[in-house]
Amino acid sequence: MMENILVQLSDALATAAERGGESTVLVNARRRIPASGIVYNTDQILTANHVVEHDEDISILLPDGTESPATLIGRDPASDLALLKLEGATATPAEQAKIPARVGQITLALGRPSKEGIEASLGTISAIGRPFHGHHGHGRHGRHGGGGLLDRYLRTDCIPYPGFSGGPLVAADGTVLGLNTSGLARGAAITIPTDIAWKVAESLAKHGHIRQGYLGIRSQTVEIPTAMQNVLKPEQNAETGLLVIGIEDESPAAKDGLMVGDILVGMNGSPIRHHDDLFAQLSGETIGQSMPIDVLRGGQPQTIQVVIGER
Amino acid sequence: VSAKTEFNDTNGALTPFLGAFTQSLNELVERVLPSLVSLRGRRWGAGAGIVWRADGLILTNNHVVGRHPPVVQLQDDREVESRLVARDPDVDLALLAIEASDLTPLEPANTSPRIGEMVFAFGHPWGQRNSVTSGILSAMLIAHSQNGKQIPIIRSDVSLAPGNSGGPLVNVRGEVLGLSTMIMGGDQSLAIPVSMMKDFVEEALSGKKYESRHHQHSSERVL
Repeated sequence: MMENILVQLSDALATAAERGGESTVLVNARRRIPASGIVYNTDQILTANHVVEHDEDISILLPDGTESPATLIGRDPASDLALLKLEGATATPAEQAKIPARVGQITLALGRPSKEGIEASLGTISAIGRPFHGHHGHGRHGRHGGGGLLDRYLRTDCIPYPGFSGGPLVAADGTVLGLNTSGLARGAAITIPTDIAWKVAESLAKHGHIRQGYLGIRSQTVEIPTAMQNVLKPEQNAETGLLVIGIEDESPAAKDGLMVGDILVGMNGSPIRHHDDLFAQLSGETIGQSMPIDVLRGGQPQTIQVVIGER
Repeated sequence: VSAKTEFNDTNGALTPFLGAFTQSLNELVERVLPSLVSLRGRRWGAGAGIVWRADGLILTNNHVVGRHPPVVQLQDDREVESRLVARDPDVDLALLAIEASDLTPLEPANTSPRIGEMVFAFGHPWGQRNSVTSGILSAMLIAHSQNGKQIPIIRSDVSLAPGNSGGPLVNVRGEVLGLSTMIMGGDQSLAIPVSMMKDFVEEALSGKKYESRHHQHSSERVL
């Protein structure tokens, strides 16, 4: 029989599962069922933070069947990612997809929740969402109470089988589009795009944590009276801002003259309406930089330059 | 959705790729459908079955066969009384025989299944006759039967519903990979691998396994 197009597609999908599976490992770091992980570097495994329940006694089952102990390099609860180091074993790193995910694209969700081997489910990219204010469930490791933050995320209709968290979403050629996790959206499965996940992994590998900028203010969200809204630039015209209710000693805010009673409405040209906005603006790249902070002080708009510190 | 209506609804605007794809699907469905039968018991609705041999052997789930052998409805709408040849609640398989000599059996897959390959389930979900659902082979697992026996099982992401039980799970070539065994929970579509089906039939016909005297008490799943 001629190899028809259906046979070719089926073979291609199975090959994609096989190829992606070569960099998909079993991560044993929690009670109950194991989870999955992606080989990020020959001796580093990227997985979901929420499946790494204990910092010690972590073991990894590699695609070739070898079992290796692993240690925790670092974790980032905000993006629900954790980086592990293989102790005494190496594996084949996953290949990043060259083309970013597109809605409608065929994808496979892969996992290795058991010793029986790789598992897969088929679907398409349903949506590319942004930005995302997640809710990670494990307050013990929480860096801030408000939940996770992702600039962008993928949603698919692939079935997330038990133990798939931490595993890859792969394209039809087996390259990795992202990391699947059910730890960010109240148990629903979403996918962290590879470019974001890899950036976090890079930072975890280098610093052991995600570098986060620091202002040194305590604040709460307040409504801005209509009269005051009118004095703001149109792009800052928001109904809420952050009222400064405390300033930490020796902090960048104290040094550069932020005052209790200021209402933060913008930073570096972007509006600040909630804590998450400020958190997102205070990325690792801002550390040591002088950044313009827009405030309402005594009802009048002012811009104050603050050299951002590191938390 | 009936396979015939779904796959014949092609329109001219399809790209050559999608056109060829749809045609391949159509051929697959046409090839498999003659081997799908419908089983009707005295007190319950339709289950599915597979024509295993041209001379009237039908393979289905044990739990689809109640206390009395069901009536087999063929694709040409003939309705035939069946006789129970063998059943094994442990692997949830039953072999029926009907008076016929001109049936179209399915070929068992002779290559080992690959994770990620496309699979198609044929059956009568919710009584909707001759439906096809598609997906991929998700995992090869080990399940434990009621008396602790380890049995291999195929998991796919194909959606199954009551009425799919006993129907074939086929590959893109229309060869049997397994026998769907409908499980609650939608995303846990399981199938008994074809190797077990072959072993079961062989044992049944060699006389080692006859209808067990202690009949099963319920139609619950055995895995």
